[in-house]
Amino acid sequence: MSDQATMREPISAREWIKNVWDGFYTTLAGMKITGRYLLQKPITIQYPDERMPIPDRYRGIHYLEQEKCINCLACARACPIDCIEMDAIRHGKELEWVSFSVDYQKCMFCELCVYPCPKDCIHMGTEFAFVTDDRSELKHDLLSYKGMSREARIRMKEAEAKKAAKDAAKAAKGADAKEGDDA
Amino acid sequence: MLNPIVTGAALVAEAPAQGGNLTLDLLREHAPAALPGWSLPLITALISVVIVITVISLLAMVSVWLERKVSGHIQCRYGPMYAGGWHGWAQSIADGVKLLMKEDMIPLGSDKALFMLAPALVLGAIFGAFVAMPLAPDFYFADIHLGAFFILGMSSLTTIGVVMAGWASNSKWSLYGSMREAAQVVAYEIPLGLSLMVPLMVAGTFNLLDASAAQSDYWGMGWFVFKNPFVIPAGILFFVAALAETKRAPFDLPEAESELVAGFLTEYSGIRWSFFFMEEYAAMYLMSLMAAVFFLGGFESPVLHVARQAEWHPILCNLIAATTLIAKSMFGVLVMMWVRWTLPRVRIDQVMTMGYKYLTPLALLCALGAALWEAGKAWIFA
Repeated sequence: MSDQATMREPISAREWIKNVWDGFYTTLAGMKITGRYLLQKPITIQYPDERMPIPDRYRGIHYLEQEKCINCLACARACPIDCIEMDAIRHGKELEWVSFSVDYQKCMFCELCVYPCPKDCIHMGTEFAFVTDDRSELKHDLLSYKGMSREARIRMKEAEAKKAAKDAAKAAKGADAKEGDDA
Repeated sequence: MLNPIVTGAALVAEAPAQGGNLTLDLLREHAPAALPGWSLPLITALISVVIVITVISLLAMVSVWLERKVSGHIQCRYGPMYAGGWHGWAQSIADGVKLLMKEDMIPLGSDKALFMLAPALVLGAIFGAFVAMPLAPDFYFADIHLGAFFILGMSSLTTIGVVMAGWASNSKWSLYGSMREAAQVVAYEIPLGLSLMVPLMVAGTFNLLDASAAQSDYWGMGWFVFKNPFVIPAGILFFVAALAETKRAPFDLPEAESELVAGFLTEYSGIRWSFFFMEEYAAMYLMSLMAAVFFLGGFESPVLHVARQAEWHPILCNLIAATTLIAKSMFGVLVMMWVRWTLPRVRIDQVMTMGYKYLTPLALLCALGAALWEAGKAWIFA
């Protein structure tokens, strides 16, 4: 087929036959290629069901090992755009968690929060799909539980009991000493 | 060239001979005596219509799904995978429900009567063409002696519906699309008819049942493509012309979604839009069935030959014949899809050049060669 919509020179019979053959042959050549693709396995994957392998050092949504975290604010201070906010109430050695949120509207996944952590408890995860229909939900809470964990509660109770026992012993000792003084 | 009114007259003039129609024969035997005799042909017609429309609609739905799967796999992806479970088999049903639920929109500036009539005309014309298309040797709606002629006439009637849709939409894109359709169909009717002439010459009949029966020799492999060397190029020409006739890519200029938005379909939505799509797929099957009957041996295959020799039950034989024919037409439809996802859309002047300067002379050459071959054969074997 020729290229211009305008009036053209008439073509020779030889050229006509060549055009017919070219049209036929190129169509078959194209169909051979598409036929090969038709029979091969598709290269796409069914995304929500299957996922591409993600590299180990991929920087996705953070994940926090909450048990290890000591609420030292090192990550929050390291963050260049101040998108980490954390809050916890201290009961002796134990922590009662109120919040640990990363604002993913701002976060640029620079990984700078990971390096200063003294307990090595904040990491960049492999999850990348974090879709909501509400902006406020993008301020994502990394805590897996709020308040105190069971273990922390038990430890705190044990510590309290120990302290109480110690206090009682101390008081008894004190009383003994007083009695002795009196005597 | 093709006048449906004349063919309609031929239909009435050459009424089918009695007997042969399996439904009618079965009804004659088993119908309760209370039914008057004149009602039996009407009931036969009703049953045939219901079966034909159901089969065609189901085939259209399946092939919409198939087209999406084929296009997906050609592009190295999966296509629909969720609806219904296994490879998204229910996608067409889901789409159909969605289209039925959509608002029926008619643009303000449009010609309402024509706008509403166009999809009905298009669909009616294509189902009308199936009147002459037998699905099995003893199961047909009308045994028309000029069947091939009638089918070509009815299928080109859909063009009027498309032009009507484009005009009534009151949109320049729609009008461009329908003008292209008109030009394209005028250009491609000629090679379509001429290339069909070749197997018709070999068959010596316009009747589809007779043409299929003429290929039953050589253990069901006496197909016209093996009987006359000019039938093979004629088959390729028929296929190309049928692609243009059914507005399939690479000749989908009336739609041309990237340049004309969607051509004559631009203003349509919902169920009217899906009528046009149903017509497209029904037309694909019609053309593939024609190709199957006249080029690929119709109902005939060695399996049917064996079944006939063993004198199996006629219903079983007819089922085998119907399956053979539909499988052959399915092959044609698959090749149409394959071509669609291989070639880019050609320009309108290229379409015209190809129709008038290449396909028509080639079809004429084929017809001439086939005529000489047949004449020579008759002269030698006389």
